[in-house]
Amino acid sequence: MKKLMFSALLALCSASVCAHTLWVLPSHFVLSAEDSWISVDVSAANMTFVADRGVNPDNLAIVFPDGERHDFAQSYHGKRKSQADHQLTMNGTYRVELAGPARYFTFFQEDGQRRRIMANKKERLAQLPDDATDVVTTRSRGRALSFISVNAPNQTALALSNEGLELKLLTHPADVVATEPVRWQFVLDGEPVADVRVELSREGELYRDDAGRELLSSDGNGYLSFTPQVPGRYVLEASLQQDSQDPLADRIRESLTLTFEAALP
Amino acid sequence: MKTTIGSALVGLVWLASLPAQAQQQVEISLELPVIETAQYYRPYVAVWIEDEAQQPVRLIALWRKEPDWLKDIRRFWRKIGRSDTELVDARTGATRTPGRYQLSWDGLDDSGQPVPAGQYTVLVEASREQGGRSLQRQTIQWGGNAQQYTQDAMPELGELKITLN
Repeated sequence: MKKLMFSALLALCSASVCAHTLWVLPSHFVLSAEDSWISVDVSAANMTFVADRGVNPDNLAIVFPDGERHDFAQSYHGKRKSQADHQLTMNGTYRVELAGPARYFTFFQEDGQRRRIMANKKERLAQLPDDATDVVTTRSRGRALSFISVNAPNQTALALSNEGLELKLLTHPADVVATEPVRWQFVLDGEPVADVRVELSREGELYRDDAGRELLSSDGNGYLSFTPQVPGRYVLEASLQQDSQDPLADRIRESLTLTFEAALP
Repeated sequence: MKTTIGSALVGLVWLASLPAQAQQQVEISLELPVIETAQYYRPYVAVWIEDEAQQPVRLIALWRKEPDWLKDIRRFWRKIGRSDTELVDARTGATRTPGRYQLSWDGLDDSGQPVPAGQYTVLVEASREQGGRSLQRQTIQWGGNAQQYTQDAMPELGELKITLN
């Protein structure tokens, strides 16, 4: 049940219909000692890094610098935030990833009300009431990512799966520095994708009047370019909705959040 | 007598053939200030040279202890420390008490080769446990005329004096 709730949250909250943003926040982005431990907070919240709802950490994984995927050594499902710990036993760049499989939702109108069932286009035939109208099936997928580098960064854990919306990190996350330009590229199923909507926010919103969020979008070739002006921790939240090539869905809704730090120059 | 003249000539020719930079030297005088605080720990300090493209060419000094806090010398870590363990080990020295310290750069890069004339930056970065981080930078013209520079004191570093002679 918890897992289902989590998945629904992940699938829904990343979309614009739900205000909460799901993020993972590692205790460190850069480490200089071998065998260091890392603690990762996971929460769904409105305000960047102000924890609001703890999310089931079962789907949290860490990809090692050699590409091997590991479960976290220990985790705790808290009310406001969840936490997971793992020891980083090799040098290089690690990917922390909270991601569930894509899920299918079918929305429809019945008796003047909007309803939803968990069904793809094939499954929905048997489940939809006869008087259902405005039937649309959406495939929904969300990912929350962050990268940690121990000593020299490497590229292996940055590799893409070529499934769904992903970010090609042309500027390595360990090389993001305040006042220096960052260039990344959005891909959908491995192909560059234009007009991905991005909201960029940074920590400390609770203590300033202007949240200072930036609205960006990927260009015609999928590139996203920006220059973080202030050192600190950021969340990039990206979302994309479009008609589907998937025979099991009419629409797709993809979302991705990336937590990163802009280092001191 | 003939031999003496010959030797003198050879000596002159040898002197003239040396590049101008060979005698040039950058004197770096940095200061770790006395800081009044409840818990004072000696700062971790890195001194290095970057070229015009902000790429490191020479690590001059690294005063540090445990590897855990090496990352807190932020720019040093990103530019040099994280990717060159051997160099870090080779240049590592003990942390220092407050005071003024003299270092120098002979215009050689980390592999012992003379760098081409041009613009370089001397960087001094200090990071203190339960304290702050300061970064001083001074651009110099290697191969250019003798010159003196000063950089204002910062919370973790006193006035930086650079002499290009």
